[in-house]
Parts: sequence; C-alpha cells; structure tokens
Amino acid sequence: MTFLSDVWYVSWRELVIYLRTPVRILMTVIQPLIWLGLMGNMMQGFARSPMVGEMLGTTSYLTFMTPGIILMTVLFGGAFSGMSVVWDRRMGYLEKLLAAPISRAAIPFGKALAASVQAGIQVLIIVLIATALGVRLATGPLGLVAILLIAMCFSLIVSSLSLSLAARIKSHETLMAVVNFLTMPLMFTSNALFPIEAMPGWLATIARYNPVTYAVTAIRHLTVSGWDWLAIASSLGVLAGLTIIFLALSRFLFQRATSE
Amino acid sequence: MTTTIQIEELVKVYRGGIRAVDGVSFAVEEEEIFGFLGPNGAGKSTTIKCVIGLLRPTSGRILIRGTDVRENPKLVKRMMGYASQETAIDDRLTGWQNLFLQGRFFHLSRKEIAERGEEVLRLCGLWERRNDSAGTYSGGMLKRLDITAALIHHPSVLFLDEPTLGLDVQTRKVIWEYIERLRTEQKMTIFLTTHYMEEADALCDRLAIIDRGRIRAIDRPGALKAQIGGDIITARLGAPAERLGALVTAITALPETVSVNPMEGDLHRIVARQRGDQLIPEVFALAAAHDVAVESIRLHRPSLDDVYLHFTGREIRDEQGSREEIGKTRMRQRRLRR
Repeated sequence: MTFLSDVWYVSWRELVIYLRTPVRILMTVIQPLIWLGLMGNMMQGFARSPMVGEMLGTTSYLTFMTPGIILMTVLFGGAFSGMSVVWDRRMGYLEKLLAAPISRAAIPFGKALAASVQAGIQVLIIVLIATALGVRLATGPLGLVAILLIAMCFSLIVSSLSLSLAARIKSHETLMAVVNFLTMPLMFTSNALFPIEAMPGWLATIARYNPVTYAVTAIRHLTVSGWDWLAIASSLGVLAGLTIIFLALSRFLFQRATSE
Repeated sequence: MTTTIQIEELVKVYRGGIRAVDGVSFAVEEEEIFGFLGPNGAGKSTTIKCVIGLLRPTSGRILIRGTDVRENPKLVKRMMGYASQETAIDDRLTGWQNLFLQGRFFHLSRKEIAERGEEVLRLCGLWERRNDSAGTYSGGMLKRLDITAALIHHPSVLFLDEPTLGLDVQTRKVIWEYIERLRTEQKMTIFLTTHYMEEADALCDRLAIIDRGRIRAIDRPGALKAQIGGDIITARLGAPAERLGALVTAITALPETVSVNPMEGDLHRIVARQRGDQLIPEVFALAAAHDVAVESIRLHRPSLDDVYLHFTGREIRDEQGSREEIGKTRMRQRRLRR
C-alpha cells in the first residue's frame, strides 16, 4: 500500500505542476488543432479518389488521421517525461526523494503515471476537436474509453523508456537529442499519417514491427470501422507486454543508477 | 545515553577509483551541533550521503542511535532529516505543497502533516506565506523551508549539507539562528558540513577538519585554535631566495617562534608561542641584519582559517569541480540570489 501511495504522490506533484501551467494545456490543444485543421484539409483532395479511399479505409482523411495525431501527441508528450528527472537531479529534488523511505521504483512509476494521465487529458481534447471538425467515432463513447486506454498504455511505454534514459543521461541537451532521435523515426516509420498499403516494401516491413503502428491500428479500427476484436486484442497484447517490459527496465535502471 | 551518530572506518571509493572518503571515524552525541569543515572535494558531502543512504559505503560501519544503516535503511531514514546543498524546494509548488509532499514521502497521515506542518512552519516564520508559490520566496526563505521540510517527520538527527552556501551575510545569520533554535527548542542533534570558517565557529560545538578524505583534527573550535599556539604574524618579505632562506631559519630559531611557513607571493606566516607583539621587533631586527625589506606586517589571533592551514597545510579554497557540479552551483546561486 505504501508503494502505491509513493507512486501516487510522485505523480501528484507532476500533475499539480501540469494543471498550474495553462500554457502547457493550451499548447496541447493548439498542436493537434493545427495538424488536423491544416493537414487534414490539405490531404482531403487525395482521399476523394476511390483508390486512396480504399487504402485509408475511409473517404475522410481527417478521420484516418485522427488516430495518428492522437498517437503523435502521446508519443512526443511521453518522450519528454524523462526531462523532469534531469531537472529533479539538478534541483536536488531527486536526492531528497532518495533520502526519503520510499521505494526507488516509485519515482519512475509515478512519473510515468503522471505522463499517462496527461496523455489521457490530451487525447480527450483531441477527440473533442476532431468531433468538432466532423469526425465521428465508429464505436461511440465506449470506443472513446477504449481509445483512452490504449493511448494511456502507450504513454506508459514511451515515458518509461524516456525515464530509463534519464536514469543514465544527466544533461538536458543529450536527453533531448536522444529522445528526438528515437521519436521522429518511430513516428514516420509508422502508419500514423500514411497507410502501410501505400508504403514502399522496406518501409512497410519496418512499419509492421513498429510499436506505434500497433497502437494506431487498434485506435484506427475503433475510429473508422468498429469493434474489430481480433485486431484490438492483438494490439493490446503487444502494448501490454511492452508496458511491462519498459516499466521493469525503468525500475531496474533507477535502482542501479541511484545505488552507487 | 546512546551515541546518536557513530561512524567507524568509513571508506568510499567511487567507480572511477577516486577515494573520496578514506577511513573516517567519529561520533556525535545527542543534542550536539557537529560540523565537518573542509574545502570542496574534501569528502564532506560524500560522508553525509553515505550516512543518509544515498551512497553505498565501500567499507566501514554507520550506526544511527545504535541501528546499522545498511541493515535497516528504512528505519534509519525515518530517524534522519536531510537538507541538501541544492535547496531542494520545488518552486512551482506552494510552500505548503512542498511540505505536504515531504510528509507523504515519509508516510505521515494527513492529520500528522497538518499538525506538524503548522508547527514547523510557525517555527521558521513561513506560516503566513504557506499558500504562496515557493517561486516567490527569497533565497533565505527557500533555505528555511528546505530545512523545515526535513523536520516534518520528527527526525532525531538533522543533516545539513552546506546550509548557507550562496546566501548573503544577513540571510546566513538568520539561518544560523534558526539552526541554534532547532537545537535548543527541538532537542535536535545536528550534523552539518561547511567550508565557511565563521559558520563553523559560530555554530558548532565540535568540529572535524576533513581534507582529502581524512579527518585531520576533531575538537571544540576554541580548543582547536588553542592547539596552534599564540598569535600569528603575517609578514610580506621582499628579498632574493637565498637571503630569505637564511632569514626564515633565523626567525625559526627564535625561542618565541613556533613555526614559519611561506605562503603565496612573498607572504610568510609566523606562529608565535604566545605574545606576537613582542616577536615583531625581533623579526624587524633580524630582517635588517639579513638585508631583507619588511614590506608589510600584520598580527592577529588565530582563527579557524589558521587552524585549517595548520592541520592541512593548505588554505581552504574552492577546487575545480566536475562540469555537472559547476552547473549545479550556478543554478543554485541563480535561485538563491533573488
């Protein structure tokens, strides 16, 4: 029980700070608004062609793209959660946490949880914006719950990867560079903005193994076509597995990095 | 009465092979303010971090009120409060939120935090400002809050790592008074590190001088000063090396002289057995005899600076730290100079 309380108060701190900075929340609204508003409309011409429509699975590029934007936001948001560790280390707060009788694993777990809750809030905002732009979820409100679940699960994976890196990397600049190096390719070798069917063979192969694709595919089914249980279950299985692996990695690295 | 902190033959070798702490032993009694004095890189912080469990000692034993730190780290952590060099207050939260989190990390109930939080905030004079963002606090207020947060779980020992680093003189005095009050009103045992002589002199009941990972001397500040002897004469002597050497030998041979040490520039430090004022004419006479010009001369009572110099053979001076440490220092100073 104390472990859960430790995790909760580590993330409580992050969330209080998050909710106190309205600019950050505003930015999370503006970003997807720009993506959906600009790119969604720009690409709309393509989606009218029957062949493209077949690849996308819908005649609305906006609908096709919404899951991609959801994942993009979650990916980039989660990837930066490691920054708070670098900051805490500089500020001496990390030491203070380590001097308290809390479990060391509570630090990465709590921060990952905070990233995941933030991701949930952002996804909710994106879905609202998309709805205002005319996107209708094929699976309705229950589908939204499932989308939130998948997105938050994905956020746990990305943030615990970022936190694991931050257990070793001690400067903002290096962490930033490494995180960008990882997130950009992950994003553009996935089916977030572009259907796999339209990719060249080599890229399609990469995309099929990309974890982002698993999450996008599941959310896309929920958005575009409906309850495709097989696709959703297999995606969730992979994501759950990755979540456990990366949380365990962050736990391991935090215990090691802080027990010299 | 049990010894509050007992450290036996503590050794800490970092992964790179640096022996930061090299066989340190000492004991701190209840309600004592005990200080570790030494320059940056002497092993002060490393010792503190070993004691509070942030670092794993390479060898040696650490007992807090009779409990071994390694055998029961969680129990020991509850007996200790720690305020780091960095003033680890999150300035995006309010003072109260900072305190509340600290209490929660020590597994106190809401009720305990409410009671204890009010008590310690009133003690440090921040009760009225508790709901303001810590970002609006001055450097001294941040430091007081930081020390206060370390008290939330009723520790019996308080560890303060460089409690006044980067603070201005007035603020430093306020922090000193606060630390004194903690000892008298809260019956705390306080272990602090510092590289400020005045701080060690003003606060500590007993003092350990640490240099290059080893303790060079432990005693009351007054007793340490008495150990060196009488007055100290600092003279600037201008002459070529061979004539100077002869003069130094002649001064050393005087019955009233304890020692003569060359320092930076042409400065020489002469320790008198007792009264330095009687030694000065003799120094002048000898200088004239050796054809050496005395450019300046100064007489003073031994300070802890001299004690330090006496035991370590060097002046206390900031040594080059790692890149990360410099970054940390800069950030700390920016935070505190508001």
